Amino acid sequence: MRLQLNFKSGKPPYRQIVDQVKAATAAGSLRAGEALPPIRTLAEQLRLNRNTVAKAYAELEHQGIIENAPGRGCFVRDGGQPLRKDARRALLAEPIDALIVQAHHVQIQGEELIDLIRERQRRLGEGPS
Amino acid sequence: MEPVIEIRDLVRRYGRQEAVNGLNLDVAPGRCYGFFGRNGAGKTTTIKCLLNLLRRDTGGIRLFGMDPVRDEVAVKRRLTYVPDQVAFHPWMTIRDWFDYLAAFRERWNTEKEQELLRRYELDAQRSVNRLSRGERMQVALIGAVCPEPELLILDEPTSGLDPLVRREFIRTVIGAYQEGDPANRTVFVSTHLITEFEGLIDEFTIIDRGQEVLSLESDTARERFVRIRARFTEPAPALEIPEALTIRRDGREAEVVVNGAHDRVVAQIEALQPEEMAREALSLEEIFLATVAKPRAAA
Repeated sequence: MRLQLNFKSGKPPYRQIVDQVKAATAAGSLRAGEALPPIRTLAEQLRLNRNTVAKAYAELEHQGIIENAPGRGCFVRDGGQPLRKDARRALLAEPIDALIVQAHHVQIQGEELIDLIRERQRRLGEGPS
Repeated sequence: MEPVIEIRDLVRRYGRQEAVNGLNLDVAPGRCYGFFGRNGAGKTTTIKCLLNLLRRDTGGIRLFGMDPVRDEVAVKRRLTYVPDQVAFHPWMTIRDWFDYLAAFRERWNTEKEQELLRRYELDAQRSVNRLSRGERMQVALIGAVCPEPELLILDEPTSGLDPLVRREFIRTVIGAYQEGDPANRTVFVSTHLITEFEGLIDEFTIIDRGQEVLSLESDTARERFVRIRARFTEPAPALEIPEALTIRRDGREAEVVVNGAHDRVVAQIEALQPEEMAREALSLEEIFLATVAKPRAAA
């Protein structure tokens, strides 16, 4: 897993870590049971304060993406999402609405949008280009 | 939670010159706090007042809830300080120097000492007199981290060092310091070289002419301070944006820096139908430059 931060994005660094770890698990480049780097290692690698990395890991744990085994570090949880399916679907409603709105403004609608989602999904599966 | 550092209306004059003029500041435990300002802004004077190396004229200072003048020893056993100019007893080796420091301290983490010496490739048997400038700072920082104090005060730790050295070692030393008990490891670092500290600083105060200009969490600051660039098909139109810190027009391009309200400003520029538009967050250094050397926004 290779994380990259962009301070210019305006997105808080801890949130960038959360999103990138989630993307890596979704893409399969980070699999269930695999370890995340220790907080200090990642903090030094990304030139971040450990508080920021700790905050990201706490958030990932809270979201059920990773688990913290005291003394051994943080690991990606195996598939079993703790939330029920309808709750999981509800989580996606808001980003999808935002996507539809944005797609409308750039005149991409209907099947074309679905195709685009499939294409992006496929590329994500192939890993970072 | 009780702040580790609390400064209220601090004033310190040199003759009739006010070096610090009504400064307020709070540092919560476990934070890595940046104290940014130009040379002569009042950073070192403030730090010396914290350490009771200088008497304040008026105002209040509390460290760990105590008065650094009255409770000087109780305060100082819980902190370490690295000045901008470090000095050693010249006849000592690095080993002697650390043993000497450890003699004053309740704790000394030998593992941490060894780990950092290894990482910096320093031989403890070398004389402190034969160290390069960067190595002297490394030795001073190791000496400040190993007692595992609750507060680490660094005054311009990276100035005078070459960029490679300072990028590398400041993060390793802060990482090593926080390791173990991060909730009780607070860093207060003054600097005018902000780039090296971009990802390390949780929260900061910018000081100019002895006064606070801005205090913010780094994440909030990068959300608020935004540069918007737009390119038009015709020469860029005049922009009237009252909240802009700076507005620049150059041919078909315009660049606006705002502090907050960027959605409104983006909408305003969008209404002028640029062919391309982008926004990006300012770095902490750019925020520092934008707030301290505040150029008058073209009306």
